[in-house]
Amino acid sequence: MKLREYEAKKVLKESGIPVPAGVLVRSADELASRLNEIGDAIVLKAQVDVGGRGKAGGILAAEKHTAVAMARELFEKQIKGLPVREILVEQKLAIVHEYYLSITIDRAAKAPLILFSDVGGVEIETMAKEHPDAIRKAVAMPLMRDLPPFMIRELAGKAVKEVGPIINKLYRVFCEKDALLAEINPLVVTSQGVFAADAKIIVDDNALARQGIFVNRDLSEREREAEKHGFSYVELGGNIGVIGNGAGLTMATLDLIGYYGGNAANFLDVGGGAESERVMHAVRLVASLPSVNVIVVNLLGGITKCDEVARGIIAAGIPQKVIVRLAGTNEAEGRRLLSEKGYEMLDTMDLVVKKAIGVAR
Amino acid sequence: MIYGDKKTGILVQGATGKQGEFHIGLMNAYAQQVGGRGVVAGVTPGKGGQQVHGVPVYNTVKEAMRDHDIGAAVIFVPAGAAADSIMEEADAGIGTIVCITEHIPVHDTMKAVAYARVEGCSVIGPNCPGLLSPGEVKMGIMPAQLFSRGKVGVISRSGTLTYEVVDELTRAGIGQSTVVGIGGDPVIGQTFTDVLERFAQDPQTKAVVLIGEVGGNLEEEGATSTDLPLVAYIAGRSAPPDKRMGHAGAIVEGGEGDACSKIARLTKLGVPVASRPSEIPELVRQLFCGC
Repeated sequence: MKLREYEAKKVLKESGIPVPAGVLVRSADELASRLNEIGDAIVLKAQVDVGGRGKAGGILAAEKHTAVAMARELFEKQIKGLPVREILVEQKLAIVHEYYLSITIDRAAKAPLILFSDVGGVEIETMAKEHPDAIRKAVAMPLMRDLPPFMIRELAGKAVKEVGPIINKLYRVFCEKDALLAEINPLVVTSQGVFAADAKIIVDDNALARQGIFVNRDLSEREREAEKHGFSYVELGGNIGVIGNGAGLTMATLDLIGYYGGNAANFLDVGGGAESERVMHAVRLVASLPSVNVIVVNLLGGITKCDEVARGIIAAGIPQKVIVRLAGTNEAEGRRLLSEKGYEMLDTMDLVVKKAIGVAR
Repeated sequence: MIYGDKKTGILVQGATGKQGEFHIGLMNAYAQQVGGRGVVAGVTPGKGGQQVHGVPVYNTVKEAMRDHDIGAAVIFVPAGAAADSIMEEADAGIGTIVCITEHIPVHDTMKAVAYARVEGCSVIGPNCPGLLSPGEVKMGIMPAQLFSRGKVGVISRSGTLTYEVVDELTRAGIGQSTVVGIGGDPVIGQTFTDVLERFAQDPQTKAVVLIGEVGGNLEEEGATSTDLPLVAYIAGRSAPPDKRMGHAGAIVEGGEGDACSKIARLTKLGVPVASRPSEIPELVRQLFCGC
């Protein structure tokens, strides 16, 4: 889950990385009463869960006497379709220089990857194109609590005195907060010292509970409902509902729908041990999508019991047509139960997908 | 076969749990069928002295190692304990560690995999179905009835999709040497490259099917690393960016790791890429007859 900027900055501040003086406000009136906590030059930053908010008008420069009025206006705006509920109001930094610092996971190295650039304030992708020589990389050893000093020297180069300690502090944050990404861009040098002018932290979804995060904001309401049942669920917008077991098989089913010219409405992986009640919830959830007019169920596995799955589909009792491909134990019994109720059960995933596309049209 | 054979004694960590117990039964049924040793010991802290399907349970891996000749371990413990299990087995010197458990925090996996590397052990998974060498050994949860013995290796990031492909291969009369599920997480122990290196040393394996998906570029890394004839399939052409498609590792991030660019890179390397799973057997056949 992606932390909001003010949450990420709070984490950095607690870890000893300086951030600009600022307050989080939920209304313009609240800002009016807290204005003297900040300096004369001010930045208003909308806290919305969306990328590219600067270009979309979510970041505004202001002065003390204009800040409240501008905040009032910003609260009434939508940034890329999202309402502005919180604004981080910060002291504007007098920038001498900008660096870039980020830590991610390198899948091939199976370890944290630290990126540092002498040029900050632009997207890393742009930087890689325009200043490839400015970017330096290092792969950390996951069993060590701190980065070795040589690695920090290699990363920071001439800036080592200025930013070296911050690199190691961010590495600690990355490890202790179960982050998939910890980024400071830009890391700003001012006459008063170095500050994290922006901060991005993404926390591993598998570690939310131990990080004390109990609601995953990155999920929509329906996705959260699915999560409660142990389903992985993503909405895609087409009219063919999809239920599978296993992420790979479910993805392959979606791809097959695309291959034969159809449009999948969703991805739903029911996970292991698909007993009747779970299958029923899955079918109902997908059927509740207004665009869905047919559902493909593609379940395969040595231990999936086909009669259980069949009972779940029947118990769901939905109006849309359900086309089923089942392979596993008790296949004959599953087939009998389904055909009794008029459901179709086909032998291969190519067949169910082609059939569903016909029905969807 | 790679990673183990009939003679490999297997230890199951989390032996007394529901999953552990169930799959000890299935693994040993398979061992009996092929004349292998199968699961010889189980471990659950605090449950030492019990038996599961006649298999003795120990409190620690080292205690089990004192009584038995063990070459591989399969882990069924909950996510919070799995990294610890990997390290316990690596510390005891078990060469092949298969971790079935899913939802392990990735920082735990990075530490455990690094620990195992220091000890010289190979971790398969986590979040994987394990491996199966038809006629030799099953370590994990793959449904054995779909498999047939032959000369094609399979490496996959998925579980059920692997079974789908193995079923297609078997129906087409194409047997498998070893089928390895390397796991659906962003950080895994053995990657396509590592398993391909094993297959290259295995006289039984003449070609390999790679079943990949969106996220990362380990498929391409693997394809670049080997001289073995390959066929690939990549799931997730329809995956939208920045959405996790079930597997924690199946995510297109910052425009990287999407199916189309993966397929394009594999094709450029000369690897035939199937557009759907049912096409794989025909592509494998073409590798062998050279047409």
